[in-house]
Amino acid sequence: MIKNYFKIAWRHLQRNKSYTFINVAGLTLGITCSILIFIIVRFQLSFDDFHKDTGSIYRVVTDLHHDNISYTSGTPAPLGKALRDEYTFSEKLARVRTFGNTLVSINSGKEVHKFVEKEGLAFAEPEFFDLFNFPLVKGDKSALTAPNNAFITEKLAHKYFPGKDAIGQTIRIENSLNCTIAGVLKDLPAATDRVEQIYLPFIQMKDLDPSHADPGNWTSINNNMQTFVRLKKGISPASVEKLFPALMNKYYVDNRARTIYHFRLQPLGDIHFNPNYSGLVEKEYIWALALVGLFLIITACVNFVNLATAQALTRSKEIGVRKVLGGRRFQLFWQFIAETALITLLATVIAFFLAKEALPYVNQLLEMRMTISFSADTWLAAFLLILAVLVTFLAGSYPGLVLAGFQPVLALKGKLNQQHIGGFSLRRALVIVQFSISQLLIISTIVIAGQIHYSRKTDLGFIKDGVVLLPLPIQDKQKMDHLRTTLASMTGVEKTSLCFSPPASGDNDLDAITFDNRAKPEPFNINEKRGDDQYLSTFGLTLIAGRNFFPSDSAHEYLINETLVRKLNLSSPQEAIGKSISVEEGKPKGTIVGVVKDFYNYSFKGEIAPICINSNYRTYSLCAVKLNMARAGQLLPAFEKLWNNTYPEYNYTYQFMDDSIAEFYEVETVLLALIEVFAGIAIFIGCLGLYGMVSFMAVQKTKEIGVRKVLGAGVQDILWIFGKEFLRLLILAFLVAAPVGGWFMHNWLQDFVYRIPLNAQVFLLALLSTIVIATLTIGYRTLRSALANPVKSLRTE
Amino acid sequence: MIKISDLQKVYRTEEVETVALNHLSFEVKEGEFVSVMGPSGCGKSTLLNILGLLDDPDGGSFIFNGTEVAHFNERKRADLRKRNIGFVFQSFNLIDELTVFENVELPLIYLGVKGPERKQRVETVLDKMQIMHRRNHYPQQLSGGQQQRVAVARAVVNNPKLILADEPTGNLDSSNGNEVMQLLTDLNEQGTTIIMVTHSEHDSRYSHRIIRMLDGQTVTENILV
Repeated sequence: MIKNYFKIAWRHLQRNKSYTFINVAGLTLGITCSILIFIIVRFQLSFDDFHKDTGSIYRVVTDLHHDNISYTSGTPAPLGKALRDEYTFSEKLARVRTFGNTLVSINSGKEVHKFVEKEGLAFAEPEFFDLFNFPLVKGDKSALTAPNNAFITEKLAHKYFPGKDAIGQTIRIENSLNCTIAGVLKDLPAATDRVEQIYLPFIQMKDLDPSHADPGNWTSINNNMQTFVRLKKGISPASVEKLFPALMNKYYVDNRARTIYHFRLQPLGDIHFNPNYSGLVEKEYIWALALVGLFLIITACVNFVNLATAQALTRSKEIGVRKVLGGRRFQLFWQFIAETALITLLATVIAFFLAKEALPYVNQLLEMRMTISFSADTWLAAFLLILAVLVTFLAGSYPGLVLAGFQPVLALKGKLNQQHIGGFSLRRALVIVQFSISQLLIISTIVIAGQIHYSRKTDLGFIKDGVVLLPLPIQDKQKMDHLRTTLASMTGVEKTSLCFSPPASGDNDLDAITFDNRAKPEPFNINEKRGDDQYLSTFGLTLIAGRNFFPSDSAHEYLINETLVRKLNLSSPQEAIGKSISVEEGKPKGTIVGVVKDFYNYSFKGEIAPICINSNYRTYSLCAVKLNMARAGQLLPAFEKLWNNTYPEYNYTYQFMDDSIAEFYEVETVLLALIEVFAGIAIFIGCLGLYGMVSFMAVQKTKEIGVRKVLGAGVQDILWIFGKEFLRLLILAFLVAAPVGGWFMHNWLQDFVYRIPLNAQVFLLALLSTIVIATLTIGYRTLRSALANPVKSLRTE
Repeated sequence: MIKISDLQKVYRTEEVETVALNHLSFEVKEGEFVSVMGPSGCGKSTLLNILGLLDDPDGGSFIFNGTEVAHFNERKRADLRKRNIGFVFQSFNLIDELTVFENVELPLIYLGVKGPERKQRVETVLDKMQIMHRRNHYPQQLSGGQQQRVAVARAVVNNPKLILADEPTGNLDSSNGNEVMQLLTDLNEQGTTIIMVTHSEHDSRYSHRIIRMLDGQTVTENILV
């Protein structure tokens, strides 16, 4: 019996090639996307789930309560030691300080090989390797207690010392620190937020970051100075957090500090997802993606149901015969399910290979290392199985019931009509579902694209085009002056400035300030920008009161922004000029000499901060060069040559300012790319179904069209028969999609302080674009019907 | 074998009520060959559908082989049908996606007959109908006469007690029509009861008895043999 089912299914599919193509293509695309989305979602949810007792591992994080609350994944460096020495709640506790973009030099005897490791390095306490499952393949973790030892991964060992045993070899870090390889770590799994592949003893942190190595420094917090703990069995994080106030009282003599710092335990499972503490992906995005996957499957199934039900009429004779010959309802139902299963199986197999082909592109887009394997990944195998069964029943049940329910007498006489296949209304409803999904995705695409465009094109208050940022690897005044003056003398270079960071940057230095003669520090932190006297002119910042500061090597004179003027409750920028200001406790006071117009110093997700600009060459890490872009072709190689001559021990890199701004919206850009692709696919699947529907309608209406034409209807009247049907469905779909899409996108935009308005244009554009797409899809087929010779169409009847 | 008494069937739409069978009664004995004739709309097809257990009557009694079947549910009707009744239609009603062999095999599949036995029975009947050489062809590759022979083969493959034929020669030329009528006669001679709806006086002469219908009732019965 089953063999017979599949045999007839296969022949039916072969006979109806276009029907088969539309169904298989739609399902294949839908399933391909859902496989990819499943892999992405599962990969994201599996971050750092391979450690032992993940449920009892926490990161200590800090909430900073100023006039608003800000969050950091870091803690003061001494906190971890105090928690370990003075409390008993931890089974294991480790501090780790990470640095990005590490320069590693290997001296092979003949020459020095330099590598810039983007993932950076970590100074870690030995217990780090008890907490986290990063096993050593060579060496012992105790080696991380001795200075000048290092662990590297197998991958790096192979890269630095190909064909040699890495143990005992020397690497030089940042041209200052010689370390001996004492351990080789197994390569890191793809799904971990701990990306560093070089580990050095925590006690050696002083060599790269003396301020955080100071055991008394309880007020300086860096995002990358982190403390991890595994709680003993039976200890709850809440009970640990209750211990923190007493600890604060002991180590913070200053009452104000006690009110600012609040330590919390963040579960390991939250780290990847919590944006407050630099989590990479918000869980909402992951669920949204899963929802899109579900939408695509629904769209593909809707196609199937629609076409199969429409096709049911053409199979009425077969069903009638089978019933006459004794076929029972459930047998006919299962026969159709078997057919659907065959199509689904075919689509799933093709989809799997398509997903395999597409995964490298997805990996590139998302900068991930996801893999796809049917045999090695039982989750994926289970997902595919469940998906295939689900799709089979979702798509096959309704048409199966309709077919199995045919009255044999009517079926044999060909007297079944639309009413017998559930009428038009159900298929209309399904088309509405499909269009709603497409329009929802189109609305999302328009809003996300609009917001990104707005973020890129809005005047940020400073120049970002044609500005190149060159790194200053060491704070050697002579070298940086040489670099800057030589750059400035090149033809095509318009301005140059030495600075810590550009006006908008991910690297920010937040400090408390005391203004004028006020007794207490202000209840907010300012964002401190450091640059030389050319900073304003290079970045095109506008001075609205006072003057620029004079050239100086240290901070005597300050510029502030309008926001700071307001936050200080001053009536005008002029009022700030000449007043004293002290930035960071214990530092000498300086004088405010000018006020600059506000500029966007964060991404559009953050409010414009109160800002102080001053000069201090000891902090400069960049040389910003404003150049004439017409000469960029000659200038960039010249920059590289000059830079390499100035810093021969380091590796040259550069970045355009607009690229660095674009990095603020990396997640959104990726999101947009994904939504665009998936919306495109949803629309395409919908169009396939629409084409199938309209073809079917055209056949059904052949006689009606013929009669109408004989009675005097013109081409446009005939087109309108189809047009009004689909236009009505589109508008109904829009009435569903617009409020839902509006709600989703309103919530999404709330992430941005500076955002585009969600106005009627967005929705009209979505509606209009679906109308255009639908018209293009059905246009050819309807026109063919409308132009058909009525004599011919009536004769065929 | 078949006894119907006072059989009624009424088709209703929102505004119109059509009486298809109006207190119809007759009997068919085992081994008989009966023709049912009458003008279009007289209720012949409705009668055949009810006799074939494809439709149920609104009133009256239908006794098949001593069992009252008028109000059987779909499952019971399908079961009784597949074991006892074979159908031959005017338009053959072969499944286009199946070969000759597979079309004939279908009733046996629904009866749950095992593969080797099925093969043997299908081959026997195809041989008998002289279409063995066409066993792997699809219906659309056959002539009308050949198609109807396949349909007859399909109707008899499960050795039914009763064959219901709905204008079996309606789509055939006279020579093919005669061949089919001869097939039915042969089957009848071997013991199969046949009830045939026809417009053709010529065909009706192959039967033992003619029931003439008008407006859902029998008007005359002619015994030919």
